[in-house]
Amino acid sequence: MRFLVVDDSTTMRRIIINTLNKVGYQNCAEAANGREGMERLAESGADIVITDWNMPEMSGIEFIRAIRANAATKDLPVLMVTTNAAKDDIVEALRAGINSYVVKPFTPDTIKHKIEAMLAH
Amino acid sequence: MNQIPTEMLSVLIESTQEVFEMMVFQPLGSQTPIEGEALRPRSNVVGTVAFAGERSGVVAFYSTTATAQAITGLMLGIPAADVNGEMPDAIGEITNMIAGTFRTKMAATGSRWAISIPTVTIGSDFYTKYVSDVRRVLCPFTMSEGNEIFVELILTQN
Repeated sequence: MRFLVVDDSTTMRRIIINTLNKVGYQNCAEAANGREGMERLAESGADIVITDWNMPEMSGIEFIRAIRANAATKDLPVLMVTTNAAKDDIVEALRAGINSYVVKPFTPDTIKHKIEAMLAH
Repeated sequence: MNQIPTEMLSVLIESTQEVFEMMVFQPLGSQTPIEGEALRPRSNVVGTVAFAGERSGVVAFYSTTATAQAITGLMLGIPAADVNGEMPDAIGEITNMIAGTFRTKMAATGSRWAISIPTVTIGSDFYTKYVSDVRRVLCPFTMSEGNEIFVELILTQN
């Protein structure tokens, strides 16, 4: 299972990758914003994308819209990990095309369960 | 000048403790909050996130450099001595998560606002000052090994 973790915070990328490693997923690539994320997807692909919302250059919402607009990536499972947890935020992210949503702060179990639920679909 | 509502203060303390338990893997002991213009803590690292909406203000995080290094190490799962340049980003994330959790919990009570991106200031010869027409309360917390952090809520009066 190949993961692409997209977040402008190097700390948060490392925390998410550490979390993925802890729950058994070792193959993780990373990118600092949506634009870099699209480049990584074009270069080497991924099976699941985990993305932040607020990022420079291309936000998480724009990134998800770009993924859904691209024939090669339109069906990719996307998990958003963000502090934006208001009801309106979640609705906006769902409309953009996320498959699931994790609010920071999170536990490893939360990430694990969300990934398992996405894969079960 | 009005005091900061007790409910807001409780939510801020709860949000800070929740962030530290989940992301720093450290329980935080909460000390008695300090209202008003009391002496600011001696800190070399200050993270701030502003918010605006039905209420406006700032959530600020304060610690010494050593404590900020320790927090960064705990977040990344590495010894504090091996932290090398990651600290400002980590403290920005911690401040962002405290403010974001606070915002989410307050939204559940009907108070909605937007938050800014975090700013982190590191140094040894500065102090933070806000316009006079604010209410402010400083929440001290204790971590393991004698480390202390402070989280301040500053509300504009309007």
